[in-house]
Amino acid sequence: MYAVLALVVGVVVGLFVHPTVPDWLAPYLPIAVIAALDAVFGGLRARLDHIFDAKVFVISFVANVLVAAFIVFLGDQLGVGAQLSTAVVVVLGIRIFGNAAAIRRHIFKA
Amino acid sequence: MTDPQRPGRDERFGATGSPSSSMTWPPPTGAGKIGTYVPPLLESLGRDSMDPGYAEAAARRAVDPQGSGPSRTSQVIAAVAGLLMAGLLFGTAAGATVSNEPRAEKARSALLEDIDRAQTHQSELAASASALAADLRSTQADLGAAGPLQTVAELERASGSTAVHGPGLRIVIDQGNSGDTSGVGVIQDRDIQLLVNDLWAAGAEAISVGGVRLRPTSSIRQAGGSILVDNRPVFWPITVDAIGEPSALQVRTVGSAGFGRFSSFAQLYDIQFDVTAKQDMALPAGSGAELRYAQGPGPAESGSSGTAAPAPAPATATPSPATPSPATPSTATPPTTPAGSSPASSGSTSPVPTATATSTS
Repeated sequence: MYAVLALVVGVVVGLFVHPTVPDWLAPYLPIAVIAALDAVFGGLRARLDHIFDAKVFVISFVANVLVAAFIVFLGDQLGVGAQLSTAVVVVLGIRIFGNAAAIRRHIFKA
Repeated sequence: MTDPQRPGRDERFGATGSPSSSMTWPPPTGAGKIGTYVPPLLESLGRDSMDPGYAEAAARRAVDPQGSGPSRTSQVIAAVAGLLMAGLLFGTAAGATVSNEPRAEKARSALLEDIDRAQTHQSELAASASALAADLRSTQADLGAAGPLQTVAELERASGSTAVHGPGLRIVIDQGNSGDTSGVGVIQDRDIQLLVNDLWAAGAEAISVGGVRLRPTSSIRQAGGSILVDNRPVFWPITVDAIGEPSALQVRTVGSAGFGRFSSFAQLYDIQFDVTAKQDMALPAGSGAELRYAQGPGPAESGSSGTAAPAPAPATATPSPATPSPATPSTATPPTTPAGSSPASSGSTSPVPTATATSTS
């Protein structure tokens, strides 16, 4: 419950405080969001599988966000930023879907 | 919050190995082989949607149930901190997206406003240009340079730089309403070109297409689905006004190729093609011709005319037929090749002014 509360509080704070995103960081924000979504869904599924581990969750979250942003940054430097963004989105999107399907099976038994 | 029943959970995981579905890590070979099994990329994409770290951590705990893992409180704190970060990220991204949206929209509407302003400015300038031209003509008439000014007036009319009115034909054409919304319709620029050329050949003295007066150098072309007359877009239905002696014009136009093409279009494709004779039509002045000033030959190329005459030297002058210099009206007579030899572009042939039916307004 605390965790869900924390998520909601984070969203609300982010929405209403309007932290200014520096311009150099702005292109990586969407990718970071996808990576964070992946980590959150993975954590939720692990929680439902009763194998949740906070350390794994935090580390995977931070690493996911950083690696995704770094890949896109590297792609931008190499001139293939759009393609690498697509690659990251595809991979993370498949994982998100897989996790969402597992969560759905847990909750609805279907 | 995170693990209410640690022993039960561990036992369940340890017992089943691969719980609940084939989608979970580790693969059925057993927890002991983690690290050596490298599944193919696509296969692992579909299977390892959950981070394998969770399973590894669970397996570690299963091996060492009350081991040196972090306490439950610190687990909760870490999870809360991580989710707080995630929520902050989501919120920030949503806020950034929302706040960026009006910026892009603003830039777009600012550009649209710029376009509107520039178009307004352009029409203002065009209006003032024709007003000034009218002033100029009345002043010249007051000065009483009758003979040359008559020539000038005829040339101006032929070049479409004055508004004229008189009897003539009005042809209204429109794309057929056959549901073809692909942008490029039945009627294309070359059809209108043909029709206009036939009108010239039939004796029209002044023609406007879609409200744009044709000059000797006007072009009618197509950009996508829209017709550009003198680089100004005109819209369907397009009205082609031709001033001339209506009956003769009509008789000669009906026999022309362009008329035949449009009639067959009207039968085949159900386009609108209406020809009516009008007793009095007013045609606007065309946009002014670009002024090109005569210059004496430069010192490097002083071959054609020996004397370095600074003022209009007929040998090297490029006569622009409609725009004589107001201070020296007598120099307007040298251009003996007013309209016929000017570079007529694809849109129209040049009229032969007969000055019978129209009068400058």
